[in-house]
Amino acid sequence: MSQETIKQPYKIKSAKLMKELMGNYFLGMKDKTKKIAWCTSVGPAELLRSFGFEVHFPENHGALLGATRTATDLIPEATKLGYSSEICSYLTADVGSYLKKETPLTEHYGLEGPPKPDLIVYNTNQCREVQDWFEYFAKEKNCPIFGIEPPRYVDEVSNEAIENVAAQFKSLIPLCEQASGQKFDIDKFRETLRLSKEATDLWKKVLWTARVSPSPISFFDATIHMGPIVVLRGTQMAKDYYITLLKELEDNVTKGIGFLEAEKCRIYWDGMPIWGKLRPMSELFAANNAAVVASTYCNSWVFDAFDEKNPFESSALAYTEIFINRSEHAKEKILKKLIQDFRIGGMIFHEAKTCFSNSNSRFGMPLRLKNETGIETLVIEGDLCDLRFYSEGQTTTKIETFIEQLS
Amino acid sequence: MSKYYQGIDIGSSYTKLTVIDETNRICYQDIVKTMNRDKQELANILTKIKSDYNIVSICATGYGREHFKDAHINKTEIYCASVGVSTLFPEAKSIIDIGGEDIKVIKTGGDGKVDDFYMNTKCAAGTGTFLIEIAERAELPLARLSELASKSNFDKELNSFCTVFAKTEIMKWIFDEVPEQDLARGIYISIVNRIAKIRMDKTLPIFLIGGVIQYHPFLKTIVEEKFQQRVVVPENPQMINSFGAAILAKKHAESEIKIASKY
Repeated sequence: MSQETIKQPYKIKSAKLMKELMGNYFLGMKDKTKKIAWCTSVGPAELLRSFGFEVHFPENHGALLGATRTATDLIPEATKLGYSSEICSYLTADVGSYLKKETPLTEHYGLEGPPKPDLIVYNTNQCREVQDWFEYFAKEKNCPIFGIEPPRYVDEVSNEAIENVAAQFKSLIPLCEQASGQKFDIDKFRETLRLSKEATDLWKKVLWTARVSPSPISFFDATIHMGPIVVLRGTQMAKDYYITLLKELEDNVTKGIGFLEAEKCRIYWDGMPIWGKLRPMSELFAANNAAVVASTYCNSWVFDAFDEKNPFESSALAYTEIFINRSEHAKEKILKKLIQDFRIGGMIFHEAKTCFSNSNSRFGMPLRLKNETGIETLVIEGDLCDLRFYSEGQTTTKIETFIEQLS
Repeated sequence: MSKYYQGIDIGSSYTKLTVIDETNRICYQDIVKTMNRDKQELANILTKIKSDYNIVSICATGYGREHFKDAHINKTEIYCASVGVSTLFPEAKSIIDIGGEDIKVIKTGGDGKVDDFYMNTKCAAGTGTFLIEIAERAELPLARLSELASKSNFDKELNSFCTVFAKTEIMKWIFDEVPEQDLARGIYISIVNRIAKIRMDKTLPIFLIGGVIQYHPFLKTIVEEKFQQRVVVPENPQMINSFGAAILAKKHAESEIKIASKY
């Protein structure tokens, strides 16, 4: 096609450093002398780290199984065990990986599989599936387990809710002491939370650079660069990484360099990434000069409320007020602000077949937002890990039509 | 020398070609199977077009649009459908495009801009392929399906969303000795009822396009009954997307001239 030449999106140079950092994180799991805690991705990682635990996040492993496109082969192993193929494909892929004894961690880091846990902790602030998922492994690994169960789908977080969740965090302490062999030290908790807060503030600044046009970072870039804030928050390494990344992006903003040379339109992505199609998706939007610049998914690790002075209460608030745990009304309010702040022209809602909690198109939200704000919306069907639920040809046509509509 | 513009719609079943002149008049149209391994037929058509017309711009559309290397621009078949129908009928409308493997419902104004659209991405029930599969199980000749259905007042539908299970469902009708004209009408009702589940502006007239309506004209009657709305089938409804693509090829050529004249 002799159409105008379309440039590929640029590469963020800090990615090399991030790969090293993530590599070291996984290699660190080989150290048998360290105590290991498993934790949900928006679980109380800071409290666990303050006891000296290395923290493994099964969802991170799920995303890895999705991104390497191994999930689709592993999911049937879990369904043979009685798990429906329509429940969380992080869960089914991770359980399938365990049953089949296959993981990309072997090829990439020489690990047999995720590290053996000394303690398993989940928070149902994101969904109920994590409870079933983590309980399966607690039984398999004969490991103590603790669940934090905050109020769900909150409009605003009440003081009662904060007290409730803070009390649950405190109830976790004896189990942490037993599993780690270390006494609880409030100063260590404060220090970990301070580091986490500094990293999350930097992460927010990184994401907010995309308010500028041309944006220096896309949603697809952000799904990669969020690695450290998910698995290493509460460490100096995560903070240092985001200082480097932010500097690179701010330099690009100063020079007027964006990941696209010219943005034909600016798009918000709602819900989970389609991990196995990240690159083709990124290229599809870039080829059409459409900049996907905002998401509530990557914003999930922005914890404004963290405050070392009130570590329990502020953690309780931060982990309860996350987007996924909010009412439809609260979500719409957040989205309307994002549309304005990021000057969004169109919203794409990914309806992930196996992720009920993070598919926001199921109760009429796209149409409501379109009617109330005039913004164009599109719903695409797919999944985070299970590519059997994704029709590439048809979805490409839908996305390209949507971009034509916006242009 | 007169200028001509070419649209090529590479669909899942057929490839459609249209050439128009500067007044949007259709000068040439042709159709070949997309998945024909013998590429010579398409190559011959393209050679003939090249030798007979001074083609200045080509627009490709359809699932295969990225693979047509001679195209100056690519546009989606949804946009091309909207432009094609709106050029002929400049009014606000819903377009229903039933193709080989998908159904598209497009809301458009008179200017051809897509205001809203829907497209199936989960399964292909209710499309051309569905029709072929079900008719085969019912042992009904596809070419006579429309004529047969026109003789029936049957009002039942196949419920299954899965084409394969719908084939099992129609066996029940055959065991119950449902007459063949009723089977034919029941198949059409099943397709239209699937479309009726899609959000559509009820106040707008409906334009039916695509390969299925080209070969199954009785579907129009069922759509009229179901939607109680004015239903229009443009001439050669299977070719309309390639016509829309030709219009967009022309627009592209005109905008290039405008850009060039600035410098």
